[in-house]
Amino acid sequence: MIDFFFALLDYKFLQNAVIACLLASVGCGIMGSYVVVKRIGFLAGGIAHTVLAGMGIAYFLDASPVLGAVITALIAGACIGWINLHWKQNEDILIAAFWSVGMAVGILFITRTPGYSVDLMSYLFGNILLVSSGDIVLMTVLDFVIVVTVILFYKQFLAATFDEEFARLRGINIEGFYILLMCLVALTVVLLIQIVGLILVIALLTLPAASAAQVAGSVSRMMVVSVLLSIFVTVGGLAISYGPDLPAGATIVITAGIVYAFSVMGTRLIRYRQNLGNSD
Amino acid sequence: MGAVIQFENVSFAYDKVPVVRDITLDIHDGEFLGIIGPNAGGKSTLLKLMLGLLKPGKGHIHVLGKSPEAGRSRVGYVPQHESFLRDFPISVTETVLMGRLGNTRWFGGYQQRDMEITLKTMEDVEIGAIGKQPIGALSGGQLQRVLIARALVSEPDILLLDEPTSNIDMRVEEDIYTLLKKYNEHMTIIVVSHDIAFISAYVDRVACLNQTLVCHATEEISGEKIEELYGAPVRMIQHVH
Repeated sequence: MIDFFFALLDYKFLQNAVIACLLASVGCGIMGSYVVVKRIGFLAGGIAHTVLAGMGIAYFLDASPVLGAVITALIAGACIGWINLHWKQNEDILIAAFWSVGMAVGILFITRTPGYSVDLMSYLFGNILLVSSGDIVLMTVLDFVIVVTVILFYKQFLAATFDEEFARLRGINIEGFYILLMCLVALTVVLLIQIVGLILVIALLTLPAASAAQVAGSVSRMMVVSVLLSIFVTVGGLAISYGPDLPAGATIVITAGIVYAFSVMGTRLIRYRQNLGNSD
Repeated sequence: MGAVIQFENVSFAYDKVPVVRDITLDIHDGEFLGIIGPNAGGKSTLLKLMLGLLKPGKGHIHVLGKSPEAGRSRVGYVPQHESFLRDFPISVTETVLMGRLGNTRWFGGYQQRDMEITLKTMEDVEIGAIGKQPIGALSGGQLQRVLIARALVSEPDILLLDEPTSNIDMRVEEDIYTLLKKYNEHMTIIVVSHDIAFISAYVDRVACLNQTLVCHATEEISGEKIEELYGAPVRMIQHVH
């Protein structure tokens, strides 16, 4: 761990990695809170895996894979949001179809691209040590879009995630806000792919926010706690992985899992002791 | 007194199974109307038609002279079943504030006026002290007051309540109807209930619904009408007006 902090002072790539962790944590904490309270982890997973199609096609066309990811994520987010609203009875099958066919398309294009396919692994499992200054600029822009949209429409998003029927009666365009929400989740997926890769994205979108839900009494507080926990698990996981040269993405996700387990057990224990106290 | 809600020969069916048939009903300004009838008699459907959440198969509905979708911004609604998860991280105040959507600004947070109306309404319905509590920690009666406050803060002309006292005990039920009676002084109230004996002490008029309107009693509900309504003799419970 100490090596990590000394290395951080010397190496630009590690500094970039830490900045990327901080930027990803902002989007992840905010949108992860919506994913958890609205219980759409599976939908977010569908978006994440569909993104490989866009990255593969962009890679094949020699365009920027991240740009391909942004475009596909937005399309997938809007489509999956639409399915959730209008095709509820077949939702699980349709999302599973997006999930698997998206990945298959991506793999097909990547393997057809001349040259080494080393990038495939980094898309799937993240390449945090290869984050460039350009990636950081893009991540900042994505965060900016997410934060500004959520500040502008916090009350509408809260009403739409809490009580859809009531929000509709109060004149909120539920379809519009739900699809906007899914698009923001999609942008967060792109943020997180830089850190842990698309297979492990779901973990970061759900675990820090679910841990925060154990202690937070409102969605806004849940967002703040969740951002802080995301910073803790991403930077912490990166630091742990550095010395023994473990894969950073996997280490981060395991750290997030441990934090979640502790938060659940901790709150259960506190409640149990309170109940014991009350029964005296 | 003009009619605030008008039903003209309204019928509605779910997948060809008729739920309500040929309803013609005028609900007057300032009235406290009770809609009673057996389960699956179409009571909740009638409310959803008024709110434009369902569209009539036949006939017309006017809410404040407009279509239900256009008129519903002036209607407060207290749903029967919670349409939300009880473990959602949200406080009582935040939940009540939600009623201001549609009256407040579009971008950013709520305004000072929204907060003032919300806090005043919460005092009026006696939930001022529990504003910071999460909704998951409330009793059935407290939650019902929160939902009533949420409907009231939109400053509606008409308040619709679907079985507002179905999960709470008798004493709290009386408190809630007394509260509604007070609000009835300046708004029309329509309440759906299966508890005939209880609500007739509070309402001005009762509409008995079993697919069709069986009666519009103003004063007394006779034994035959109840029989017609429920399809079997029902023991009447005596109560004093």
